[in-house]
Amino acid sequence: MRPSDYPPPWSDAEAVTAPGDVEPIEVGVLVVGGGPAGLAAAIRLGQLIASDPETAEALGDVPVAVLEKGKAPGSHLLSGAVVDPDPLWRLLEGVRAPGDLPTYGQVPGEQVLLLTSDRAVRLPVPPTMRNHGNVVVSVSQLGRFLAEVAEEGGAVILPETVGQSLLVADDAVVGVRTGDKGRGREGEELPRFEAGSDLRAKVTILAEGTQGHLSLAAFDRFGLAGSSPQTWALGVKEVWRVPRPLREVIHTMGWPLRPAARYREFGGSFVYPMGDDLVTIGMVVGLDYRDASVSIHDLLQQLKTHPRIRPILQGGERIAWGAKTIPEGGFVALPRQLHAPGLLVVGDSAGLVNVPALKGIHYAVESGRLAAEAAWRSLTGGDLSSYDTALRSSFVWRDLRAVRNMRQAFGAGFWRGSALAGLATVTGGRFPPGNNPTESDASHEIFSGDGASSYPAPDGALTFDKLSSVFLSGNRTRDDQPSHIRVATRVPAELGDLWVNMCPAQVYETGPAGEDGLVEVAVTPSNCVQCGAITAKGGRLTPPEGGSGPEYTLT
Amino acid sequence: MKTLVFLEHHDGAVTKPSLALLSRAARLGGETCGVIAGSGLKEAAASAGAFGGSVIFAADDERLAAPLPQPRVDVLAGLVRDEGFDTVLFAQSVLASDIAAGLALRLGAGLNWDLADIEEDGETLIGKRPALADSVWVDVGWTATPRLGLFRTGSFDPAETGGSAEVRDVTVTLEPHSQLAELVEPATVDEQAGPSIEEADVVVAGGRGLGGPEGFALVESLAEALGGAVAATRAVVDAGWYPYSAQVGQTGKTVSPKLYVAVGISGAIQHKVGMQSSGTIVAINKDPNAPIFDYADLGVVGDLNEIVPRLAELVRQRRDA
Repeated sequence: MRPSDYPPPWSDAEAVTAPGDVEPIEVGVLVVGGGPAGLAAAIRLGQLIASDPETAEALGDVPVAVLEKGKAPGSHLLSGAVVDPDPLWRLLEGVRAPGDLPTYGQVPGEQVLLLTSDRAVRLPVPPTMRNHGNVVVSVSQLGRFLAEVAEEGGAVILPETVGQSLLVADDAVVGVRTGDKGRGREGEELPRFEAGSDLRAKVTILAEGTQGHLSLAAFDRFGLAGSSPQTWALGVKEVWRVPRPLREVIHTMGWPLRPAARYREFGGSFVYPMGDDLVTIGMVVGLDYRDASVSIHDLLQQLKTHPRIRPILQGGERIAWGAKTIPEGGFVALPRQLHAPGLLVVGDSAGLVNVPALKGIHYAVESGRLAAEAAWRSLTGGDLSSYDTALRSSFVWRDLRAVRNMRQAFGAGFWRGSALAGLATVTGGRFPPGNNPTESDASHEIFSGDGASSYPAPDGALTFDKLSSVFLSGNRTRDDQPSHIRVATRVPAELGDLWVNMCPAQVYETGPAGEDGLVEVAVTPSNCVQCGAITAKGGRLTPPEGGSGPEYTLT
Repeated sequence: MKTLVFLEHHDGAVTKPSLALLSRAARLGGETCGVIAGSGLKEAAASAGAFGGSVIFAADDERLAAPLPQPRVDVLAGLVRDEGFDTVLFAQSVLASDIAAGLALRLGAGLNWDLADIEEDGETLIGKRPALADSVWVDVGWTATPRLGLFRTGSFDPAETGGSAEVRDVTVTLEPHSQLAELVEPATVDEQAGPSIEEADVVVAGGRGLGGPEGFALVESLAEALGGAVAATRAVVDAGWYPYSAQVGQTGKTVSPKLYVAVGISGAIQHKVGMQSSGTIVAINKDPNAPIFDYADLGVVGDLNEIVPRLAELVRQRRDA
């Protein structure tokens, strides 16, 4: 049984529409998503506008608008994160001093550990993972900071507003329709109903982050898919206030994941210091795993009980929690091009993530900057394809090409995967030659295993259940709105269990099996923190009403 | 300081949250008064005096019969102007929120909403507002007078002072634009017998442990015996077992009855934040590890299908005896 055997009631064509009869709102460049990529684009556009006000007149009264589905920029941003700050400093040169960047300082030192259930073996740090000169950040804080800079540069940020569908006319993207607000559970209009608007733009930049709702629709509509399908990992993380400072950036491999190839459990954990009194800890696992009992939230809880990890958190208090998917397909899964008429795709939406280096924020910033420049050139007759050209000759492309086959190698299990990845590293990506294709996460056979049998029972001090975690994410989504999660509702028990266990926010529940052997899947969409795991594993996340979801501040 | 509390009334009786706010405001320094606006409300005005305040202003006028906000904004704005009130407080409701917003605009005044308490520091007034899903308290203030505040329902209990306030008639003068709206038809939602869950002294709440919508018959029967209202958890409202209007919790209503009986409710934190300020919490659940037992005053581990009917019967026997 594969999750892809039970596709969701959804077609990407539903997110593409012709412009309506209503009066549109005209903007110059429309950026969908207030994360590092979108805000970098907005900031760069502000700089270009200031440098040449005459050309900027073509952009109209609202030259740059940024849609943000969360309550504010940063509300839905979550990452590790150790960031290569160079692209940020290049972007902000002359606008902010390097010291203004909200970081927790340079990486003080680092360790890579291979864990067994009771031991930790220190490994040499692989070249791809070296972090000298990089900085620890909360990407949520970084987002709020970049939003401030973008607004100073004249960008208009529209929070609590989702991009519901792509406006396409004459085979070109002409803007975005925003989501309705104030609909009831069955889609009926409540007294506070507010219809979405058509935002018409000369150029639309999709910077929606992982699994962009409109980005996926655009890849489908314009045939942009690359040679291999995109794959994802799910990361669940917490931030702790701790009594003793942590002095190193720690990455772990091995336990509690299982090395055998049949489980396909690829991933690891990170433990980063955020100054003297905060520590962030997270677990990331590829969503190509096969055991339906696996829960990444609970793997994180289990990780914290390890004798090497527990002392770091001992006596501390958990103050934040969140979850998000990460595009893992890398180079081979990139769309064949990142532009279409009227459209550019940047950052995680494009899949610009370096999995072996565990990094993507600097690519997001760089791609946003390059997209802004291409959009600007298009005002004076340039072609949007210049974005692809610029990106292909940048360090982003060079990096991603060099590590293109590493992630796929781990489909053969941890030990063989490590050996192949090592070879790829020492040969600078020349071995293995060619491009190894990826397979979609939902296409792997699943089975009911015993992965969950060793998860600790939540004790409310070190280990926590899902619901109290969702509470900590700040999620207080309105219950009486239409469900934004599309899944098949009668499925085999293994698939039902897979969703129940995979979801870190306790969105799915299943009933007893019926006569046909299938179980009923009940969905609680208001728990959803929009991590996107369901989209990888046989369902489809669409945007809920603007302003719904978590309110991350430290993640 | 001179404080005015808006007293909302339904069917001739002042609402419990309004009275609770009046008794809280009366404990602030300076003078506290109430204002009630409607038609034929002499008795309600007189009864409010028992909860504090020196004067209850009664704006009794045919044109105030319908529960519309604008005419009430006129009444309150007039009182602030003529009587020199520097603080106007409201207990949150749809009507009160409308009036508070309208009054803020009319007076160019600052409005703090979603307050759960208020404190004085000399002449400075500090509003206490829960934030980030009620995990932290935020102090909010006003930069100028008049200061407007809108309070969460369930924040205080009404406390009778035994006093009686002077009821003073207010001459009602309405702006022409305030009389343009008319009530066409009053709408009632989810008609229910007994008190609303926000106002009831006793709330009996049902959760997933009831097993199905039919399980609510048990809850309703116990609520009837105790003279209380019926509430429900998000899970069962989601499942369509009970109407949304009865939902208690983070994304539902916040209640603080004297007695809260949780039947078949596991008690996740999302539920807890909607009822944790209840006086006495009684939980009936068959799972001894349910989180609700961590914060219940009395926990009963057992089969609700046996316990609840017998409990209801015992309550009835006592009541009728």
